[in-house]
Amino acid sequence: MAEDVFDLYDREKLLLAEGQAILEKGNQEELQAFAERLFDRFSKLVRENEDLTRHSDRQEQRLVKLNRNLKNQTLELEQQRSRLEGLSQQLAKYLPPQIHEALFAGKYDTQITTQRKKLTVFFSDIKDFTRTAESLQPESLTEYLNDYFSEMTAIALSHGATIDKYIGDAVMLFFGDPDSKGIKEDARACVEMALEMQERMLVLQRRWREQGFDNPFVIRIGINTGYCNVGNFGSDQRLSYTIIGGEVNVAQRLEANCDPGGILISHETFSQVDDLVDVEERPSVSLKGIDRNIKTYAVKGRKTESEKPLRLSHPQGVHIDLSPLSLRPDDRQLIASQLKALAQRLEDQ
Amino acid sequence: MHIAATDRTPAIDLTLTPLKLVMAGESFPEDVSAFYGEVITSINQLVTNVQGKLEVEMAFVYINSSSIKAMYRIFEGIDAYRQAGNEVQVVWKAEEDDDIMQELGEDFKDRFQSLNFTVEQHG
Repeated sequence: MAEDVFDLYDREKLLLAEGQAILEKGNQEELQAFAERLFDRFSKLVRENEDLTRHSDRQEQRLVKLNRNLKNQTLELEQQRSRLEGLSQQLAKYLPPQIHEALFAGKYDTQITTQRKKLTVFFSDIKDFTRTAESLQPESLTEYLNDYFSEMTAIALSHGATIDKYIGDAVMLFFGDPDSKGIKEDARACVEMALEMQERMLVLQRRWREQGFDNPFVIRIGINTGYCNVGNFGSDQRLSYTIIGGEVNVAQRLEANCDPGGILISHETFSQVDDLVDVEERPSVSLKGIDRNIKTYAVKGRKTESEKPLRLSHPQGVHIDLSPLSLRPDDRQLIASQLKALAQRLEDQ
Repeated sequence: MHIAATDRTPAIDLTLTPLKLVMAGESFPEDVSAFYGEVITSINQLVTNVQGKLEVEMAFVYINSSSIKAMYRIFEGIDAYRQAGNEVQVVWKAEEDDDIMQELGEDFKDRFQSLNFTVEQHG
């Protein structure tokens, strides 16, 4: 039913069709009447066209204005984003990376909340720092210190440490919060990191000596594993993400008792890494507020593959802990054949 | 007649008691002739079917050029109803900060001077 479809231009189209027929006929009277109707419609069309053009121009102006505003806003937002990015990069240097990342992802809770957690705590400081500092030009001291902190920080971050703070020449960091791989793995990561730091210090000392620093920095490291309070301490106005507790003080005391260039760990840490490093037992230390003597161990280095103990444990009553190097060859042989026989029986069950 | 608003077309209500035409919303239909055809036809039929005061209220947020062409047909139909001896009151409402809709209302008022036509701003 095409005839029923409404057409906004039906009157104009009708006039055009009518005009065609009248022109062909050439009747003067009809032409006169048609011209009048055509004139009337044309006048209205001109007025409508004027209004439409004006309206269209206004819409266009609004669009241009909106587009301009949008461009300005985009530019402003881009500048703000760039400022924030710069600020974030600056802030990142003052915050542990895990906290910075969580904060900017909107996942970090800035409430004053703490929790008790088993962490591995690390303390290091430079031996005789005050005397060494006095013997250096301030510019050189700044250069060597920056060098030292940059290198140690890079190593710490590569092992996943949470850097708590730099206290003068000392570094305090921990493993186990906000990210943890488990108490054992955290302790092992910390000791691995400490070993790498001391190895790196040897390289740095050589370099510093070549640069004229004849008495280069030597560091002491103390590591302890234990329950600490970790979280946001302070007030609503100023918060500090840190750890507190007696076990933190133990780590600091271990550092103070450590040999220069060495690593001193507590028994609690040692129990998590005894298959990883060779140690030498050192005198126990006692500490106010800690009602036990703390057994200490100086880390001598990583165990080689052959030094590592053979261990197997299972809750169903299996516990094997062997140090192959401490066994006589015929004992080693005997134990190996007994284990093979047991394994065979187990498989055949 | 009742046509509900969509994101491209206005709500349209034409009632006989009271005799009132209300149009409100945005107007940029895909096919203007198809959308407004029924409205224009209904308004053109008023003159033969009813008598009495007609109230018209229009509140557009956006209206494209083709819809303006349709609005001319609507106002022509309303004016024909007035010419038949009926009272007509048109209120064109534009949002306070919408100069374009306000000026468009003024344009229609100017073109249909015989109509009792007011342009109002609302917040």
